[in-house]
Amino acid sequence: MEALELYAVDDRADVYTEELKLNLGPQHPSTHGVLRVELRLDGEIITAARCDIGYLHRCAEKIGENVSYLQFTPYTDRMDYLSSMNNNLAWSLTVEKLLGVEAPPRAQWLRVIMAELNRIASHLIAFGTYGIDMGAATPFFYAFRERESIMALLERPSGARMLYNYIRPGGVAHDIDERWLPDVLAFCDEFEKRWAEYNTLLTTNKIFIERTKNIGVIPRQMALDYGLTGPVLRGSGVKWDLRRDVPYLKPYDEIEFDIPVGEGTHGTLGDCWDRYWVRMLEMMESIRIIRQAAVRVPTGDFVEKAMLKMYKSPLKPAAGEAYMRCENPRGELGFYVVSAGGASPIRCRARGPSFCNLSVLDALLPGCMIADGVAIIGSLDIVLGEVDR
Amino acid sequence: MNEQQLHAKLLASGLPGIGELDTSARDPFVRVDAGSIVAVLTFLRDDHDCRMEMLHNLTAVERPDAIELVYHVCSLARHHALTVKLSCPRPDGGNHDTWIPEVPSVAGVYSAANWHEREQWDLLGVRFAGHPDHRRILLPEEWIGHPLRKDYVYPTWHDGIPLELDAIPLYEPGGGQAAAEAAAASAAGAAGAAAKAPRKAGEPLFQPPAPLSTRPLAPGGKTTDTPASELGSH
Repeated sequence: MEALELYAVDDRADVYTEELKLNLGPQHPSTHGVLRVELRLDGEIITAARCDIGYLHRCAEKIGENVSYLQFTPYTDRMDYLSSMNNNLAWSLTVEKLLGVEAPPRAQWLRVIMAELNRIASHLIAFGTYGIDMGAATPFFYAFRERESIMALLERPSGARMLYNYIRPGGVAHDIDERWLPDVLAFCDEFEKRWAEYNTLLTTNKIFIERTKNIGVIPRQMALDYGLTGPVLRGSGVKWDLRRDVPYLKPYDEIEFDIPVGEGTHGTLGDCWDRYWVRMLEMMESIRIIRQAAVRVPTGDFVEKAMLKMYKSPLKPAAGEAYMRCENPRGELGFYVVSAGGASPIRCRARGPSFCNLSVLDALLPGCMIADGVAIIGSLDIVLGEVDR
Repeated sequence: MNEQQLHAKLLASGLPGIGELDTSARDPFVRVDAGSIVAVLTFLRDDHDCRMEMLHNLTAVERPDAIELVYHVCSLARHHALTVKLSCPRPDGGNHDTWIPEVPSVAGVYSAANWHEREQWDLLGVRFAGHPDHRRILLPEEWIGHPLRKDYVYPTWHDGIPLELDAIPLYEPGGGQAAAEAAAASAAGAAGAAAKAPRKAGEPLFQPPAPLSTRPLAPGGKTTDTPASELGSH
């Protein structure tokens, strides 16, 4: 009799388990840094999620209020440390907007090449680590091989491998050597072949597709509501790219390139696979941009003469404010700087794309399985250095 | 539409509390009253000609006379953007400890505002009435104060961790040079080898550093007319 009761099935309700609270992170390989997500679980299904960030908080905005405009450039390197060139660029353009100066043409074209090279390097990390998240370790090594070439290229003019401090208000820090542009073009040829390899490794892998399609769907309206930008926004089918829509550097106006958007190739529009594929296509668009830019770099100054004087004397913009946004690999990085006429800004706000893109996670996770949660976090491609600043 | 047209559109909407458009700024901005910010942003989002689908940035700025809230909204469909500001005037004697301004939360209009408002509360101490999850976001919940306020005092201690570097003893293998000297000194009969006087009662563990502009340029005490902070990195 007792045995029968043991195996009796309660047919009035589905099988349920006790609710479990689980901390994902802060030290977890799939959170891409020190991110903690508090999960409530019903079996393997997430019923509620809450992000906890700030483990890497350095209050860069307070630092910005205590150093000069030029001294803050290296701190921008350390926000999104995988795309330092782009951060430098956004900060430099903000300061230039505040001062009302413009970089000379040679600097502008060099900036475009640097920013796009760094964009490829950053997307390569996104591609490689996403493979690891999905249990495929091999693509990571392939991605790092090409990233190494890019870092070697960027090291030659800047002297640094990751934190460049190269693009500065008024221009760039150093001129390039004679062999640099041909080497960049040679890299472009090489990279095209490698890119095809990545697709055979990961993009067309059946397991990878099954793990990412129809997962973490962000509808268009939700993406706009949460202020998502970059590949996450374009993955939801919104054709919006500041390089085309608000060209913040003149060369972007003169160069031909496409803006890849998600098309719901393997199921629903705006799923993890769409975001992944947008990044893959963007790498090739960056190659296209670099190819056109490398043959058009004009001769001349690489830094604005008027700014050189300002480097030696205090840089004191007139009281005012400027908001500038740039298309970073992860989305739109905005700097809002308020000057009261002194040598340091009184407010130095950084609107990081990772911060805004991560804010959608709490809404995306409920209803998913834990393993899909890992796929979703990876597809958002966050850098915690920028989330926490 | 440009900012003038957007401003005219706002005025024509009949919403109360819409101020002038400041065109002298690099990014022209509209001032609104705190009470009408939710209505203004809802109008900008839903109006067919404005269609500000995205709250791009939300921030607060502390000025001598007020704390200003700045909302950057933009439209992807219409290719335009607008800056909206509201001001919380500083009351007499209002400082970090006594004054927490409060404005209505716009998290119900744009979900993006949720985290932005939490960050402004955390770092600048602005309360957002009606926010769905009014907690700190970057700092721990038990943190005292709001670091981006101009009169914020640096803490000396947090959660068992001294924040003054001198208070942390350096590790030296084998007791180190200092220990060897102390041993030699005590062997020689010298009283007290402590190099540093003990901290007096009431003396703070940590002195906040002076602003860079008041520090001497070189360690030798030689100052110049140009404060160090105003020199470039070159």
